[in-house]
Amino acid sequence: MGDSQYSFSLTTFSPSGKLVQIEHALTAVGSGQTSLGIKAANGVVIATEKKLPSILVDETSVQKIQILTPNIGVVYSGMGPDSRVLVRKSRKQAEQYFRLYKEPIPVTQLVRETATVMQEFTQSGGVRPFGVSLLVAGYDDKGPQLYQVDPSGSYFSWKASAMGKNVSNAKTFLEKRYDEETELDDAVHTAILTLKEGFEGQISGKNIEIGVIDNDKIFRILTPSEIEDYLNEVA
Amino acid sequence: MSKIAESVPPKGGFSFDLCKRNEMLVQKGLKQPSFLKTGTTIVGLVFKDGVILGADTRATEGPIVADKNCEKIHYMAPNIYCCGAGTAADTEAVTDMVSSQLKLHRFHTGRDSRVVTALTLLKSHLFSYQGHVSAALVLGGVDVTGPHLHTIYPHGSTDTLPFATMGSGSLAAMAVFESKYREGLSRDEGVTLVAEAICSGIFNDLGSGSNVDICVITKGEKEYLRNYMLPNPRTYVSEKGYSFSKKTEVLLTKITPLRELVEVIEGGDAMEE
Repeated sequence: MGDSQYSFSLTTFSPSGKLVQIEHALTAVGSGQTSLGIKAANGVVIATEKKLPSILVDETSVQKIQILTPNIGVVYSGMGPDSRVLVRKSRKQAEQYFRLYKEPIPVTQLVRETATVMQEFTQSGGVRPFGVSLLVAGYDDKGPQLYQVDPSGSYFSWKASAMGKNVSNAKTFLEKRYDEETELDDAVHTAILTLKEGFEGQISGKNIEIGVIDNDKIFRILTPSEIEDYLNEVA
Repeated sequence: MSKIAESVPPKGGFSFDLCKRNEMLVQKGLKQPSFLKTGTTIVGLVFKDGVILGADTRATEGPIVADKNCEKIHYMAPNIYCCGAGTAADTEAVTDMVSSQLKLHRFHTGRDSRVVTALTLLKSHLFSYQGHVSAALVLGGVDVTGPHLHTIYPHGSTDTLPFATMGSGSLAAMAVFESKYREGLSRDEGVTLVAEAICSGIFNDLGSGSNVDICVITKGEKEYLRNYMLPNPRTYVSEKGYSFSKKTEVLLTKITPLRELVEVIEGGDAMEE
């Protein structure tokens, strides 16, 4: 690439008008484990692969899906440690909003604050962009919502989206199967089938994670046995 | 190198810069503004299944009753509540702040908050302000390790007790507790005893009055009994009614009825996000 001369410094545009570090960050995301989200009529589901580097790793100690507020959850694709920093900052911002307005933060506002943090790291000295894309699922007064936030700091609202290794196959699969009237349970089945598409090995309750939020506006992470129940329904 | 826009924690401690100036002004004859104190009776006791907290509801501003029915039992966590005596703003702000910190802590650890966590956060904050944050607290709750009750003094020292009282009415309430408390009280006995202690404070201390608030916390459950007792109802209302004397000139009488129906316009322009 002719841009390679400009790929050492974050704060420099390349002649083609790109910030090369951000492109590289997106590549880092693209080589991360697949994660996806689907917005149903009465809720949102997010899911991810949980491939551990070895069978000796205790899978109960790893949790990729995190809760930001009682009604907003998040999953990532890319570098795990970077996502931890963002989760911590987002939780704090949500809490600061609550302390000021005495109201839970709306999903769009939290997404915007998180995206602002990610953008700051693309325009400051001595730092690098975050190597994660986040899928934020929430349910507030405006109904169920699903947002994707990229390392550049841009965010999009999706009806269904996927990120990571198998993104193109997953997105094609979702495009074919997405229906706006879908109920949450069917959305979970669709999510599992999409993950199954690109899954290497035997899918089970221990190597995927699923988080749901439905009409009660409470974000829950499903236990491995609950995931097994869904898997049995799908198989 | 430009700075990352992250919040830098303050260097800590109270800034004493203006204290000399204030002293000088007082010497020159300036009357320092008074602050709203909750001359108060707050109590807590441990019973068989958990903790019961009680408080009166009077907020005073010197000799004047500023609020006849204020809330002195503050929420800290689903399983922890805190009664506050002292300056109303200080108790409100400090319990709000620690409640917020506990919430973040719950997200990070994935566990329910423990009473000792709240205790440590409160005492270290109060100590770093060297007693200038005038908040005397009775902290009680039930966590995985069992029921706990603590008192926290404005300078940051704490006590762990089976029964505790704080505030200007604390001696009146403690007299009731010392004579009638025993271990292993049932819920109803405990609530009666707490109500009695608060009433003792209400009737014998000028700084406490109005109603009794009670909060019962047990494992997995809490009952916030706002205005559990109202021993000071307004009994005398003048028969003649309250109206303007004949000498008052009434210039204009216009009654604007309250709008009962609010129209929600669907599909209007959305607000700029």
